[in-house]
Amino acid sequence: MTETSATPRGASSPPIVAKTRVLLVEDDEGDAFLVRELLLDAAVDIDLVRVRSLAEAHQHLPEQYHCVLLDLGLPDAQGMEALRTVLDAAPNIAVLVLTGLADEHRGTEAVAAGAQDYLVKGTIDGQLLTRAIRYAVERKRADESTRRLYESEARAAENARLERGLLPQPLVSSRGVEVVTRYRPGRHQSLLGGDFYDVVECKDGSLFAMIGDVAGHGPDEAALGVCLRIAWRTLVLAGVDPDTVLPSMDAVLSSERSSEEVFATVSMVRIDPEQRAARFWLAGHPLPVLLDHDITPVPDEAAGTALGIVDGDFWPGFDLEFDRTCRLMLYTDGLIEGYDGQGGRRRLGEDGMHRLLLDLMGTGLGASELTDALLAEVRERNGGELTDDVALLILSWTDEA
Amino acid sequence: MDLSLSTRTEGDRIVVEVGGEIDVYTAPRLREQLVDLVADGKYHLIVDMEKVDFLDSTGLGVLVGGLKRVRAHDGSLRLVCTQERILKIFRITGLTKVFPIHASVEEAVNASE
Repeated sequence: MTETSATPRGASSPPIVAKTRVLLVEDDEGDAFLVRELLLDAAVDIDLVRVRSLAEAHQHLPEQYHCVLLDLGLPDAQGMEALRTVLDAAPNIAVLVLTGLADEHRGTEAVAAGAQDYLVKGTIDGQLLTRAIRYAVERKRADESTRRLYESEARAAENARLERGLLPQPLVSSRGVEVVTRYRPGRHQSLLGGDFYDVVECKDGSLFAMIGDVAGHGPDEAALGVCLRIAWRTLVLAGVDPDTVLPSMDAVLSSERSSEEVFATVSMVRIDPEQRAARFWLAGHPLPVLLDHDITPVPDEAAGTALGIVDGDFWPGFDLEFDRTCRLMLYTDGLIEGYDGQGGRRRLGEDGMHRLLLDLMGTGLGASELTDALLAEVRERNGGELTDDVALLILSWTDEA
Repeated sequence: MDLSLSTRTEGDRIVVEVGGEIDVYTAPRLREQLVDLVADGKYHLIVDMEKVDFLDSTGLGVLVGGLKRVRAHDGSLRLVCTQERILKIFRITGLTKVFPIHASVEEAVNASE
């Protein structure tokens, strides 16, 4: 055993050591001496630092200790209060409490409150003390990994739930329509962002598609995205006048959002049953593109304001002739906000993305392969995973009945 | 790259000069700045975006939030921007309809409410 005298915080943080570092919080000189002697007797590799009060312990706790030996009768905090203070300050450190013979009952109380174990002064020897320390540290480590596992499982379940809500199965029955969808979460995000899409084929044969993005990242945005996506599907299935869909989603957003700052962008399109005409409603969203031998974005003038910006806003539809040999691509801004791969800080942008897409279209890929190739290319240009989420939807028509 | 922020008074308006990238990581600092100004009773703001290299949807949200905050006090939030890349973002999101956008700080300072 080596003993280190207590130095105030900030002197130097200890290196990561294989030795078990123990902080003894004990005001009684005799008891502190005893603990030190017991560990010396056991001749084990333990670094012991001793402090005399909870305030002093508090200064040391940010440092790397594996275990705290805590006397429950300190000058500046008694019993469970002392324990709770230590557990709050250092939730990842194993705590062993020291009790006297007379107050052994407080030991069990302490274990119930979160201590790993308790030791009764005067009844322990060096072997027992070392083993108690080792076991406490190991148990704490096991508890921690169980907790982390549980957290990551809970997050995965939450993600799966949100993903079903944000990125549903398209409701399309015609075999002549191919719907390709992709979603990639952004970097640094353990939860999904607020990108969402949907495709619904109505009884009359018209096809509605929509893609959207709630600005910002996090569970609130994702939940709001689910809410907007369900609102959209409901309105379309209910057969309301398509011109009223975005105003209704706007009203839903305004009443459901957590702050006034939250807005959402949406692109929506209806393709008529004969696939001769397309009507677009654009609310602040990157412009959808028509793909044949060339790339034609829906004109700028079709762009309306994002949802949640102007009270009582309206989005007039914008009509375009359509041809079933075309493909239609809707996407979210993550696809164009990456770097352009030229070494500088320039972003890919719409034009850059169109150029990549045009090059890939020349290779005659099917919609699914084209989508994957585009995403791979965009990611490569960015020099790694994109910051923002990307959702992408390509509709194609085949001659199958 | 980081975000740079500086404020100065021009007549009865406050000019917030922003430089660098306004994204999900840096936008909270701009939000804080705008919130502080409004809390301080400054309701006529000009955000100079000439040195902004990148603006994402979180950044747009912060500007929209700023606009709503000053409007609650009958104030104004004007933008200064001539960069085509940034202007395009405002056009596509339809925000050109809600933010007055000026070609220079001088023009924004002299614009009548």
